[in-house]
Amino acid sequence: MIAELGHIALIAAFVLSLVQSSLPLIGASRGDTALMTSGPAAAISTAVAVIMAFLALIWGFIRSDFSLALVANHSHSTKPLIYKISGTWGNHEGSLLLWILILALYGGILAVRGRGMPLAMKARILAVQGMVSTGFLAFSLFTSNPFLRLATPPLDGKGLNPILQDPGLAIHPPMLYLGYVGLSMAFAFAVAALISGEVDRLWAKWMRPWVMAAWCALTLGIAIGSWWAYYELGWGGWWFWDPVENASLMPWLAATALLHSAIVVEKRGQLKSWTVLLAILAFSLSLVGTFIVRSGLLTSVHSFASDPARGVFVLGILLFAVGIPLTLYAWRGPQLVTRADFTLASREGGLIANNMLLVVATAIVLLGTFYPLGLELVTGARITVGPPYFNATFNPVMALLMALMAVGPVLAWRRGSTPRLRPVLIAAGVVAVASLLLFFVLGKGVTVGAASAVMLIAWLGAGIIGDIWAQIKPRPNTGIATRLRRIPADTAGMWMAHFGIVIFMIGAVGDSLFSSEHVVRATPGTKIELADRTVTFAGLRQIDGPNYQSLAADLDYADKSGRIFARLSPEKRIYNAERQTTTEAAIRPTIAGDDYAVLGDGDNKIGFTLRLYYKPLVSWIWTGAAIMALGGMIAAIGRQRTHRRTTAGTTAASPHRDDSLPSGQPL
Amino acid sequence: MSRIRLSFLLPLGVFLGLAALGAVALYGTLSGSRTPDQLPSVLIGKPAPPLDLPRLVTATPAPASAAQVTIAPFRGKPLLVNIFASWCAPCRAEAPALEMLSKRIAILGIAYKDREEDTQQFLGQYGDPFRAIGIDRDGRAGIAWGVYGVPETFLLDADGIVRLRHAGPLTKDVIDNKLIPALVALGA
Repeated sequence: MIAELGHIALIAAFVLSLVQSSLPLIGASRGDTALMTSGPAAAISTAVAVIMAFLALIWGFIRSDFSLALVANHSHSTKPLIYKISGTWGNHEGSLLLWILILALYGGILAVRGRGMPLAMKARILAVQGMVSTGFLAFSLFTSNPFLRLATPPLDGKGLNPILQDPGLAIHPPMLYLGYVGLSMAFAFAVAALISGEVDRLWAKWMRPWVMAAWCALTLGIAIGSWWAYYELGWGGWWFWDPVENASLMPWLAATALLHSAIVVEKRGQLKSWTVLLAILAFSLSLVGTFIVRSGLLTSVHSFASDPARGVFVLGILLFAVGIPLTLYAWRGPQLVTRADFTLASREGGLIANNMLLVVATAIVLLGTFYPLGLELVTGARITVGPPYFNATFNPVMALLMALMAVGPVLAWRRGSTPRLRPVLIAAGVVAVASLLLFFVLGKGVTVGAASAVMLIAWLGAGIIGDIWAQIKPRPNTGIATRLRRIPADTAGMWMAHFGIVIFMIGAVGDSLFSSEHVVRATPGTKIELADRTVTFAGLRQIDGPNYQSLAADLDYADKSGRIFARLSPEKRIYNAERQTTTEAAIRPTIAGDDYAVLGDGDNKIGFTLRLYYKPLVSWIWTGAAIMALGGMIAAIGRQRTHRRTTAGTTAASPHRDDSLPSGQPL
Repeated sequence: MSRIRLSFLLPLGVFLGLAALGAVALYGTLSGSRTPDQLPSVLIGKPAPPLDLPRLVTATPAPASAAQVTIAPFRGKPLLVNIFASWCAPCRAEAPALEMLSKRIAILGIAYKDREEDTQQFLGQYGDPFRAIGIDRDGRAGIAWGVYGVPETFLLDADGIVRLRHAGPLTKDVIDNKLIPALVALGA
């Protein structure tokens, strides 16, 4: 009964989204206020209907209603409650519904908020958003209905892939989707602008918070995913250049470019057509990411064969969602061109360089991801391109980007040099060379890559700190505190996000240069030496979990003086319902580095394979990503605040402003 | 200004090109006119390209315990050449299959673009079915053999002529329907 209500709610949402995508658009073209205001109303109702459908599906999972095909195929009665709930989106149909839910929520939020926005603009944006919802609701209802009933319900479900029964995975997809779908807002802004043929600084101002929010969510989502792979897969790695990871990295790179180019539109009214194109590109890549790769549609030719309708539908949606905006772009784009009124060595020039590098990086990842998929589609051969390709192509581009990241923020709009340019760059250069020398003296196994990575970290870190100091150091009549208070949230957020990259790089470099690992076959009592610690294999234990049985190895870690400072217990689990084995790595994370232990195969006679790692600084990787996201949030929230203070009358914001001032902030 | 400019058509053109490619491939696969088959290799029926790589030191005694790995010592019997890497996930998947095949035919490994210590660890973890392993650090041998990516497997007859080439992991289906018949034909 509940499931049928959910199904009806989903159908209602489909009808409402049809209304949302048509009436406001007609209203906007005719200047009919009544029709335009139907947009927010329809968006809010769609959101309510989708929330009801989603709750109905969660209810089915909580109650283990095995008469629902989806629940029977993906859940099990003995599963802990949290994984029953997270199991709702651990499958194709459910994750599609989650995607739609987030899309509808974003639409609803835009409808409720943004009162100062011109009504026609809001109507167009909601209409475009409604078209996207319509497409996905149709996809869900016609090919991937989550509410299908079984004529003869099984006694128990088939279970959820044990590797997915994990707290990290309960929050990873929703977070990632918040990011993917958040880019749909930027997309809607872009398409709405192409429909009306108008892009102004106000447009960018309204769009940027959405891009920032999406970017923060995407950053966190990718970081959580990487962290999950690190502790769950038990390979000790944190990034594998796997198609699924690349699918989330591509929209992130495009969104990062968009985040930066939108600044130019807002502050200077330049790069309009490029920004519109980037917004379309970023969302297209999210679509590719979620639906071609995540649902497993293209990873194997055979999954297409199992349900051709889905493959055709996805291709159709892509064709509409990307093809129509690009056609609009070809037609309207030229109108948005402005004459460049800046020199190359200016803030604009720096941001253009940032965009070029990020787009090249996106193209590199796109090629590396789709070349194997394309080859498989055409020839049936399944191959891997793998890290050698990405290390040789992606890393140098990113290194160049990092090098420029210290320079760009100290350039001024339009004309290049600022008083702080020279001192900041000299300081960064000196620190970079000093750290390189230090690295040569202390370092082992110095390679070109490692040396340049260390130099880059020092260069960027010193560059950011130098910039901060130059902007807050006391002046004759203003102290640090006063100057600090005058720093706009935008700038503070940028410093933080850029500094997050420094922290991230320290983690990545520390892990790749100084990791120690040891693979041994050991019986209880064996002692293993690893990176100035002694690990004693104390013994084995059987553990009975709620829906699994487990074998755990107890490993005692002792420092040089022989004091035991930690006990790690890696496990091998067998899940009863799925008859599947997983390895649970034991990790002791510290700021200095992680101890990481994995229990492999073996028996009491020949011993067990133990894989022990010591991974210095590895946790800085995710800390860095979190700092980046936090920086984005500070900028976004700060903007909202300044924005609210000045909402009225910013339309006539003067076109030429100094770089140190946030837009629309009264002096 | 409303005149359509070529540069603004470019994104649409690129996208439509890609979409058409996808649609053709999808249609071909669905209608069954294009059966995903092995990659055509210009090498089939021709002598295997020259191979001369530094040998990875492993526990397995090589026929010629020379420092270099070449095809010559393996002449006289069919030989399987497997190109793999520790960083390649499908290679992990096909490791058990190679282990099983090694009881029937000699297998020569080429460690493609991989660090020695990583290869060693990979072998420790997933087993070492190889008679000898050549280290192809910079991928030169991969180019000579026309490798698309890893893993790839070549079957050579007793005279060192390439008889079969498979790109991708050796799945049960591939072994049963392609490799075993080819082996039987060669009398291995």
